[in-house]
Amino acid sequence: MGSHRSYSVVGKGVPVKDAREKVTGALKFAVDLTVQNMAFGKILRSPHPHARIKRIDVSRAEALPGVYGVLTHEDTPRLDWEAAWFNYRGKVLDGVARFVGDDVAAVAARTEAIAEQALELIDIEWERLPHVLDMEEARKPDAPQIRDEGNERPPYIVEWGDVSEGKAEADIIVDCDITFESQQYAPLGRNAAIAEWLGDKVTLWTSSQTPSELRDGIHEALGIPLSKIRVMALPAGSSFGQWWSNNFMLIAVLLAKKAGRPVKVELSNEECMVTVKRRHIERTRGRMGCTKDGRLTLAEFDHLIDNGGYGFKDDVGFFCVDMWGRANHGHYAVHGINTNRLTAGCMRGVGDCTLGAAVERLADRLAEKVGMDPVEFRLLNQIRPGDRLRMQHSKHNMKCSMEEYIAAIPEELQARWPRLFHLSSGGTAEILSKGADAFNWRARWKGWGQPHTIDGPKRRAVGVGTGAHVCGVEFEGSTSAVVRINPDGSAKVHCSVGRQGQGSETTQSQVAAEALGIPFDMVEIETGDTDSCPWSHGSLASNTMYRVGWATHAASMDARRQLLAIAAREFFDGADIDELDITEGYIHPDGHPDSNRRVSITQVMHELRSDTLGQTSSITGRPAEPMPPATTFARQFGAQFAEVEVDVETGQIKLLDYLACQDSGTVMNPQVLKNQVIGGAICGSGFAIYEHLVFDEETGAIKNGNLLDYKLLRAADFPWNARVMFCEDYDPVGPFGARGAGESPIAAGISAVCQAVYNAIGVWVDMPMTPERVVRALGKV
Amino acid sequence: MRNLVINGKTHEYDGAASRTLADVLRNEFGLHGVRVSCSEGECGSCTVLIDGQPVTSCLVLVDQAEDRDIQTIEGLGTLDDLHPIQQAFIEEQGFQCAFCTPGFIMSAKAFLEENPDPTPEEAAIGMSGNICRCGAYPYIVKAVLNAAAKLREQGGRRRAAE
Repeated sequence: MGSHRSYSVVGKGVPVKDAREKVTGALKFAVDLTVQNMAFGKILRSPHPHARIKRIDVSRAEALPGVYGVLTHEDTPRLDWEAAWFNYRGKVLDGVARFVGDDVAAVAARTEAIAEQALELIDIEWERLPHVLDMEEARKPDAPQIRDEGNERPPYIVEWGDVSEGKAEADIIVDCDITFESQQYAPLGRNAAIAEWLGDKVTLWTSSQTPSELRDGIHEALGIPLSKIRVMALPAGSSFGQWWSNNFMLIAVLLAKKAGRPVKVELSNEECMVTVKRRHIERTRGRMGCTKDGRLTLAEFDHLIDNGGYGFKDDVGFFCVDMWGRANHGHYAVHGINTNRLTAGCMRGVGDCTLGAAVERLADRLAEKVGMDPVEFRLLNQIRPGDRLRMQHSKHNMKCSMEEYIAAIPEELQARWPRLFHLSSGGTAEILSKGADAFNWRARWKGWGQPHTIDGPKRRAVGVGTGAHVCGVEFEGSTSAVVRINPDGSAKVHCSVGRQGQGSETTQSQVAAEALGIPFDMVEIETGDTDSCPWSHGSLASNTMYRVGWATHAASMDARRQLLAIAAREFFDGADIDELDITEGYIHPDGHPDSNRRVSITQVMHELRSDTLGQTSSITGRPAEPMPPATTFARQFGAQFAEVEVDVETGQIKLLDYLACQDSGTVMNPQVLKNQVIGGAICGSGFAIYEHLVFDEETGAIKNGNLLDYKLLRAADFPWNARVMFCEDYDPVGPFGARGAGESPIAAGISAVCQAVYNAIGVWVDMPMTPERVVRALGKV
Repeated sequence: MRNLVINGKTHEYDGAASRTLADVLRNEFGLHGVRVSCSEGECGSCTVLIDGQPVTSCLVLVDQAEDRDIQTIEGLGTLDDLHPIQQAFIEEQGFQCAFCTPGFIMSAKAFLEENPDPTPEEAAIGMSGNICRCGAYPYIVKAVLNAAAKLREQGGRRRAAE
């Protein structure tokens, strides 16, 4: 492709593909869908934190007029299924309840009201089991065991150098013991799952970010062939990792089979908040050390995360390890622990919002002790391109060392790939420097714990925070895409990433349009149908722009080569395809888009048709080789600057000014990326200053599982004139140099707001920094 | 039998009087732009206008809406003929997942009738009865200001023509 050509659609702020559907309310979520002859399903939920069903009698429920079927653990296959990134591992129903609100049984009926009535007629004799809510208690050998695998498995460890040397090299060491509460996804968009069987084949419509993984989950849980399962993922409302493959979706599948008709299970807002999943509670103990001139020598952390009943996560997602990996000596241990609370899973920025915030705080405390500005301390100690990456592989998926992993890759591929286990591009240096200038940081920063303005009880100060995250991970499968060029010169992309509002259907179409030379308006996309889309990890782990974008680009280039080969043969005297280019749907000699020899894609496609006796009329492109392993070289970075006002009498925190800087490589669509970055900043700020779940101390039941009691930021709570700035360090692998984006902004936002509050009041407050906690931290109550 | 005047058309409704307006609009009249999330009047997703006033339709009984002018997002503009507020939301991209967007747009319509030339701070407060979990707030505020300018210009043209 002619590298001289400037981009036609990459980097352009084209409106998102579904903009009109979105502003007219025409966009359909799973809750909006009905199918003919559909029954309504409701799920019975456990009143106990830990209990076993001794006896279950559903005869009265089944006898209720209008009931089509009741599903219990006795009808459920004895097979475990697993959601992406170990966000759920277990059976669909197994007769044991592991938290208050856990799925116990389900009813399908003619109406929702009948289904609800039938739930009350299910008679259960429970055997109460001892339960445990606290992570530290759950680790003890005599703790009640929640899972067959035990409450805790061996930790995930990342280490390099020798921490005892790191201590010896340090002039100053600070340590911490920090606990952060649990954030709830708190989706506005409710979810529903509609399952319909036709013989031994099943179709499931639901809002999901991970259609392929969901299909795989049904296959595992039911033991039926993948070819008999079709997932049709519909748009998801504000998902942030909540709607991947969730147990209620599998209940809908089993219930539809039992009822002998299609079943829709729709969750209430409260069910969305107390029965699906949440962010982990975390506890971080650790230390960092540096020399008196501020060079990090040591990073040593022990990080506990509470997985609740069905989460199984204890690794990956901790890319703050790389961010501060310039320390010569490091040791991070991550322990995932099951408790009898609601399952915890990957919420936006997982790990980098919790461990990351703790590491940032320790770094800040070191900077204060050596008398360095937080921007300078970060510039000195944070990762730069070419630096060694410390994060290695998921212990669950890779059974070999880094060296063995590299040795297994053909040399020919390695020669073309970036250097593995080293950062390919980006970093925080540029976003920090340019951001500090744009925010006028040097004038507004008055020193550690120093407000720039005191106005009665009000203290105003600025803070800066940084965040990193991965750009997709490859361990669960190779993400692919298919691109078809139609006979009329239009194109269709198929990639199963779902639609959760971040604009991926638009940015993927931009990648394809640019690569194909087809006008953006002629490119459409299918993201939800597993029957037409090849396997993809979905839109999680900031996978979409980088890995799915790579696959869309590679598939487009494959289709383009096929098209050009026909054009060269039929219209350009057998020219080499490198001598041709495509612009706005016309094929022409490279460098001469207006040449009178140019031919339209439609003309070329017509040749294809006659070549094959009219039997084939489209070109199908797919990636020709596996994607380079993104985890081993690609990261995204955010640096954010916040100004806050803290009232030391009331503990109230207000956000006054905000600048979010982002390095995600090439910006595919500025308005789409701005929304991602500011959305992350707002979600992070909300977590920092008040979002948290309240658990009943005795049972672990969630007490604020609704939008009235679980407080979210509103328009007036965040500066309307918040600014966004991009630095675009071109990535050698991502499509047109782009990288991932969605998760570093939330991590950066949390740290910026926490530091700003410290600078305002001179005391560190653990998240959420509610008014009560602020006042307590100040010793006022 | 009750008369419900929805988006300018009168419909007969013979169901229970105790159902919420949101339920009836969604499930009897297929108006899925009326989004239901919290069901307790907190999130604003189900905002519709009754006699021009914004209400969270999950808290209004259908009985209370009888013979009154009910306007939903479906009555504002269509895919091919957008209302200026909808156009402004697209231009500023005042949404991500857009579950909340119809509610915000209906709130914006009522707000701009009260205050046709708001300051950004007034617009931010005016939009604070609705929740956007994706956090598109700065662009929602800009969309409201953009819409205000469009509507003023439209009003000016209309007055000039009269």
